[in-house]
Amino acid sequence: MSTAAVADPTSESADAPAVPRKVSPFNPANAVTASRFLTLPPLYWAIDHGYHQYATLFILICGLLDKLDGLVAKVFNCRSAFGELFDAITDGICYGFGLIVVAAYGWAPWIPVAAIIFLGVSNTAMRFVYSWRAQRPMNYKSYAMERLVAYTGYLIGFATGGMEVRFFYWWFVPLMAVIVLYDTKRMLFDPIPAARAA
Amino acid sequence: MNELMSATAFKWFLTILTGGLAGAWFVYDSINLIRTRNLDRTDAVIRDRHFGYVMGIIIGVIGVLGCLKFHGVV
Repeated sequence: MSTAAVADPTSESADAPAVPRKVSPFNPANAVTASRFLTLPPLYWAIDHGYHQYATLFILICGLLDKLDGLVAKVFNCRSAFGELFDAITDGICYGFGLIVVAAYGWAPWIPVAAIIFLGVSNTAMRFVYSWRAQRPMNYKSYAMERLVAYTGYLIGFATGGMEVRFFYWWFVPLMAVIVLYDTKRMLFDPIPAARAA
Repeated sequence: MNELMSATAFKWFLTILTGGLAGAWFVYDSINLIRTRNLDRTDAVIRDRHFGYVMGIIIGVIGVLGCLKFHGVV
């Protein structure tokens, strides 16, 4: 299995060039990220059986694990490009699954859910284009989208908890559309920053 | 199978979880925006940060408003 190389700032010294440190994909942070998938079957079970509180608990655990993996990566010094990508993919799968299930069971309105999934897929496609334009694996850091991803986790919780579902879902769509438009301009048309020397 | 808590407790649990984070987020991004207001806005990364902070503030307002609606205040 290949390993992702990252520069380890702690290993640099004044007279020695920085040597990229190899980080195995089988590290504690990625294990925490992968464990988020374990919350999906019980989430489905709870929604299928109409247990609103259990469903909220499972999506809450999924969201907390999302926050925990970054902390674990810092503590164990195992941050990697693969880890960031794996985290983003896991976000998409977990929250996409949750949104589809709550909409399928009538706990959330279909139209905003469909719009959110469409915009999310579009944004992912733009990221691939951005990486292609840069001619290297490169993740576009969107401060606005980082905030919206947390809101996405909450959206599922609003549906499972029956909390002002229509209000939160319908407000989410224009916000996401504005952010995706802004990020699309940045990723497709604006100049790409030069690669930093290792 | 019983649920985890009473309906009232669950309602307040959701309110605190949502309102607490949304309120804190509103304050956090407002402070970020104020602190960085004098940075060079011709730099694309600074513009990205400002845009993110403004979106964070709006999300915070929506969260707090949703909590107030949930309790019939607005």
